[in-house]
Amino acid sequence: MAWYFLRRLLAAVPVLIGLSIVAFLLIHFVPGDPVAQMLGGKTTPAHVEMVRHQLGLDAPLWRQYLRFIWGVVHLNLGYSITLNLPVMHVLRNRGTATFWLLLYGVGVAVVISVPLAAWSAIKPDGWVDQGVRFLTTTAFAMPSFWLALVLALIFGLQLHWLPVTGYTPTFPGLFVSLTLPAITLGMSLVAVVIRTLRSTMIEVLSSEYIAAARARGLTERRILLRYGLRNSLGAMVTVIAADIGYLIGGTAVVETVFQIPGLGSLLVQSALQRDYTLVTALAFIAGVAVVVISLVTDFIYALLDPRVKLG
Amino acid sequence: MVGPVSLDPLINTGGNGDNFANELIYQPLVRPDPFGSDALVPGIADRWTISPNGLEYSFHIRDNARWANGEPVTADDVKFSLDRFGNPKLNQFLPSMAIGYKATQVIDSHNVVVHLTQPVSAMLYNIGFWVGFIYPKKPVEQQGKAFFNKPIGSGPFMVENWTPGSSITFVRNPYYWETGKPYLDEVKYLYATDDNSRMLALRSGQVQAVDGVPFEQVDTFRSNPKVYLQFTKTPYFEDVSLNHRKPYFTDLNVRQALQYAIDKESINKEIFAGTGTIPNSCLPQLKYDGTNQQVQPYAYDLAKAKQLMSKSSYPSGFETTLQYPAGFAYYSKLALVLQSEWDQIGVNVRLIEEDQGTMTNKFWAEDYEMIFPFAQYTSDEAVPDEYGYLMFDPHGTDGFETHWHDPAIWTMFQQFAKGSEATRQQLWPQIQKAMLIASPTINIMDLPFIQAYANNVRNPWVNVLGASRLEHTWLA
Repeated sequence: MAWYFLRRLLAAVPVLIGLSIVAFLLIHFVPGDPVAQMLGGKTTPAHVEMVRHQLGLDAPLWRQYLRFIWGVVHLNLGYSITLNLPVMHVLRNRGTATFWLLLYGVGVAVVISVPLAAWSAIKPDGWVDQGVRFLTTTAFAMPSFWLALVLALIFGLQLHWLPVTGYTPTFPGLFVSLTLPAITLGMSLVAVVIRTLRSTMIEVLSSEYIAAARARGLTERRILLRYGLRNSLGAMVTVIAADIGYLIGGTAVVETVFQIPGLGSLLVQSALQRDYTLVTALAFIAGVAVVVISLVTDFIYALLDPRVKLG
Repeated sequence: MVGPVSLDPLINTGGNGDNFANELIYQPLVRPDPFGSDALVPGIADRWTISPNGLEYSFHIRDNARWANGEPVTADDVKFSLDRFGNPKLNQFLPSMAIGYKATQVIDSHNVVVHLTQPVSAMLYNIGFWVGFIYPKKPVEQQGKAFFNKPIGSGPFMVENWTPGSSITFVRNPYYWETGKPYLDEVKYLYATDDNSRMLALRSGQVQAVDGVPFEQVDTFRSNPKVYLQFTKTPYFEDVSLNHRKPYFTDLNVRQALQYAIDKESINKEIFAGTGTIPNSCLPQLKYDGTNQQVQPYAYDLAKAKQLMSKSSYPSGFETTLQYPAGFAYYSKLALVLQSEWDQIGVNVRLIEEDQGTMTNKFWAEDYEMIFPFAQYTSDEAVPDEYGYLMFDPHGTDGFETHWHDPAIWTMFQQFAKGSEATRQQLWPQIQKAMLIASPTINIMDLPFIQAYANNVRNPWVNVLGASRLEHTWLA
């Protein structure tokens, strides 16, 4: 078991190195210049050169990369020129909003998906199953910026229940201001989770131990919840873990539309302003988050199901 | 718009998002008329005199000017702030505003003299907005950068709470010098960059005021009985820069043909909801501008445009490109209209939509043919001096990256830049006209800033730079 963990950890190292190179190079290959962007274009090239030098942006690329890696090893991700703050400080400030948004979004997805998937699985291809499939496919096809606006129109403009923009960092306002964003984000996950959970449940419900449970005279309700659902949840966790990268990407849109001061909207803004340090750090952190979450999922799986490590 | 990253006025990464917040907190010595004219009115200084040679400006700080902590505003504070303004290492965003600034001399606690190295007629305008804001010397020196997280100014409001990237809550400054003002106890700025969610916030009643109403939504708001619109005349224009390194754009006939081929009336109606003004200048609307009788705008005249093209060195036309900013519905429409209109005179335009970062870089490298260089850009001051230097100064930004130079206009402009008020009034329309005839760039439309307010908002005056201090505003 320990050998398996170690092997998985070691395998993550080249992934992280590759990730750091890609995160660093991508934004540098995009045309544009952070200083020119920051100063807004009404100064002289000589003045831009001076500021660029002040910020150490005139050093060769390989040296800037090494500086970045050296920083990562020392838990220092550099200094954001557009925000005028150390990146670690920015991550602490703005990471909270994204963390709550992701958690709330996943929560919404689970609360919607589990009952619908269970309901669909009882009678595959029955009218409930068809209806759920139609609704989830529709939801999946909606771009999140559009869904966000529709939700804002209904719950903000028509019903006046929830704010359409802005963020409150404290409870219970946090809950209120994140509700529409979390629904928008969660909906992008619902279709995938329902499809996976449904097919796993159908498989589970047709297995021999379910037949045995039926033969023992257990109620359908008990069979479904106790045996069917429980044995299918593993698949759901895997799907959510695998989609976490997708969700993190989704925060960029959702946070921008609802004006949540999180890391997603910050990534968009910093990419537009060519804040190299910040873009590199954010892309790297998002990548690391995906790697860590998939590692943890693997470990939990290995602990729960010893067959996994053989594979 | 994007919210500020620092409430240090000299750190201007968010553009107007920063300016409009700082406008509530700080004041300059003199400031634009809060009711929207292009005049200057007293700010922290209640009176000032200018020496006959134009090199010394003496300011008297009003006796009742106080910081939000109750301490008086002193001459030391003014000197400290203006010295920051004059230091290009600190004043990185608009160092050109400090042209001619030499030093500030403290006479006594209420009097300072600003010394210049050369006469600068626009001096009061150059210090009359955010670059020239005054802050208290002692706390800034003691706290350094941290001061600007919760700064103290002498404006009508002070910061109560700031969630970077999201919102700022301001409360009334009890020591504000205008007795009884401001009327509002609290103001909250929500930074909403997404046009649709910003407009929804007003329509749902979550907020009482929004700015940057998109042109596409003007008609929706016009017909909404719960809100009203305000159109503020500001130096905001949509301008196509032509790269004079391309041989066809050095041909005056071509440039004028491009002007005559644009149907600005219908562009105004179809794209800008009729909110624009047909320009009679290559620059935005500025103080001293001549009237339409003095300087006539280009009319839409396709026959004349074709005739000019046939007279040019390119009678059968040419191929070129137009770069425009991504992310704005109206730029795409505008670019398409221009493409089809110029196509009629044989100018075949390929459209390139690009994000701002890429465009800025290409603009600076003069790697473009035609370009809208910055999305929604404005002059930082109401007088022509800033743009004059950008466009005409042969030692500056290469004709604001157009590579266009006109020694005759530069000579006139130098007279203007150091001239008396009367000289300036007389010279500017001539410069404006000479420039419009030359058309080094093509100003498509002069536009207002558009704000929308809930019906119970009274007196939301906005100054000529588009900023409001909300000191006269109240809720019915």
